[in-house]
Amino acid sequence: MSDHEAIRTLIGKSCLALDDSDFAAYLGLCALDFSYCIRVWSPELRKDMIWLEHDRDGMAGLFETLPEHLQRSGRLSRHVSISTIETGASAQEFVVVSSVVVHHTDLGGRTQTLAVGRYNDTVIREGGAVLLATREVTLETRDLGIGLHVPL
Amino acid sequence: MGARDTSSWEQVPAAPAEHFVSGLVYSDPDIYRDESDKIFSKVWRLACHESELPEAFDYRVFDHDGQSLFSIRGEDNVVRTFLNVCSHRGAKLLDQPAGNAKSITCFYHRWTYDSQGGCTGIPRASGYASGSVKKEVMGLREVRTEILHGLAFVCMDDAAPPLGSHIGSALDRFSEMLTGQPLEVFHYNQAILDCNWKAWHETNMDLYHEFMHVVLRQTQVNAMPMEDRKRIVFDGGHGGSGGDLKAAYDGYEGFAGRGDDVPPLPGMSATDFRFVNLFPSTAIISRGTVVRIDTVTPIGPDKALLEMRGLGLKGESDEHRRIRQKHHNQYWGPFGRNVPEDMVAAESCADSFRNQAGRYQIIARDEKMSGQDDAILRAFYAEWGRRVDRDPGAPV
Ligand code: FES
Ligand SMILES: [Fe+2]
Repeated sequence: MSDHEAIRTLIGKSCLALDDSDFAAYLGLCALDFSYCIRVWSPELRKDMIWLEHDRDGMAGLFETLPEHLQRSGRLSRHVSISTIETGASAQEFVVVSSVVVHHTDLGGRTQTLAVGRYNDTVIREGGAVLLATREVTLETRDLGIGLHVPL
Repeated sequence: MGARDTSSWEQVPAAPAEHFVSGLVYSDPDIYRDESDKIFSKVWRLACHESELPEAFDYRVFDHDGQSLFSIRGEDNVVRTFLNVCSHRGAKLLDQPAGNAKSITCFYHRWTYDSQGGCTGIPRASGYASGSVKKEVMGLREVRTEILHGLAFVCMDDAAPPLGSHIGSALDRFSEMLTGQPLEVFHYNQAILDCNWKAWHETNMDLYHEFMHVVLRQTQVNAMPMEDRKRIVFDGGHGGSGGDLKAAYDGYEGFAGRGDDVPPLPGMSATDFRFVNLFPSTAIISRGTVVRIDTVTPIGPDKALLEMRGLGLKGESDEHRRIRQKHHNQYWGPFGRNVPEDMVAAESCADSFRNQAGRYQIIARDEKMSGQDDAILRAFYAEWGRRVDRDPGAPV
């Protein structure tokens, strides 16, 4: 598989894993020093905001606690379109920018757009595999209704 | 006792009048109009925090009861508020939620205004031959604005008593926290909720629901004896924590040590939880290192605009700010552990009352102003009833 194909598959799997609440599979796609953050520009404050930030352990802890939380019912579907894949700081690193749309389908089967934004990912090649090293989600959507407990 | 039949379900509860609220207060269009006329047109409400207008000519646009307003800091450093409406033909003057405008130019026919609301220019003014239209009398409609502890409040009623008499002593326990060091808003988000505005405000007045939040079940419910908790209510429908509640953060995965790495806000310890609800729809909630401020604005009987702010210390290092953001996001914001749960609750109850499946809500907990007493809810509804001249338990 070419690097680009492997990266496309990695990004696609990261969405499916979260959609399916298969958190072990998601973490399996992440490097050991993985970091995740959701950034949002506030035109009200004229400032960048961080709405969620975790390292790999933090993500694992968050996933562990999810079943105990009162959550939005239904399912999320993350639709990704990879825009660019560029070589990063080294030949083993890639900077990948994707557009992402997240839909929510409620228990009655009705679907609505929940959020649009981008994934700004750093992907590294380690051994024979490619792994997510960082994921920064930048959101255009700032009204997420009742919000959510899971990462996007 | 088993299930109830229709008449038992629908009958007025056999309880003191202040112990229940009719579901109609969340859905009846006439009541909603009364709230607009008698509460939101008359009472002081939060516009923004001073730090949102740090420089001269900085402005913030916001909605209030169906109208667009903006607050702007003048050259004289005074924050004033105006209806966001051009005197000429009513175009909306400011479109962006925030910005800096030394002069405000209406996009439509290019009339201009200054930061004190004066009309400064009318293109080809000579065309108004009669003389009744001239810039001297075409200023903006000013809305009363007062700042208390860094919070800018506005009031649509030119004849209402001043802010101080509305708030009374309700913010005294917050004065050190809000003014001991300059604060800054670092988080802001809005959500349009499918519920009446009061259903959201109730989530901030009701401590009994801490059982809903796994975080609070594990960090707060047992952190101190229930009887040592203190509740306080004030004239005017405000109420909050009398003494601070405590949190034992190591009860929840990932929260242990919260607050060891950044100074708490002035007058707080990292494990303190302090809150006050201001009538009609503002809540100030501090968890040691950060403070959240909610404002909920009615959009319709079953729609409300919620604005949430998170504040930390102004001028702190990036490292400290990052930690404070983390503390904020642990509980609050769209990805917080608690806030989405509160929103589920508010919308869920609204759903039941919308079509009168639910008839009454019970606010009868009496724990002598401790534990999970409903006194704040009762104080709120007493003021609400007084303002709209209706009995909350039998409002129509
Ligand atoms: S409506 Fe503003 S200048 Fe005409
Ligand atoms: Fe809550």
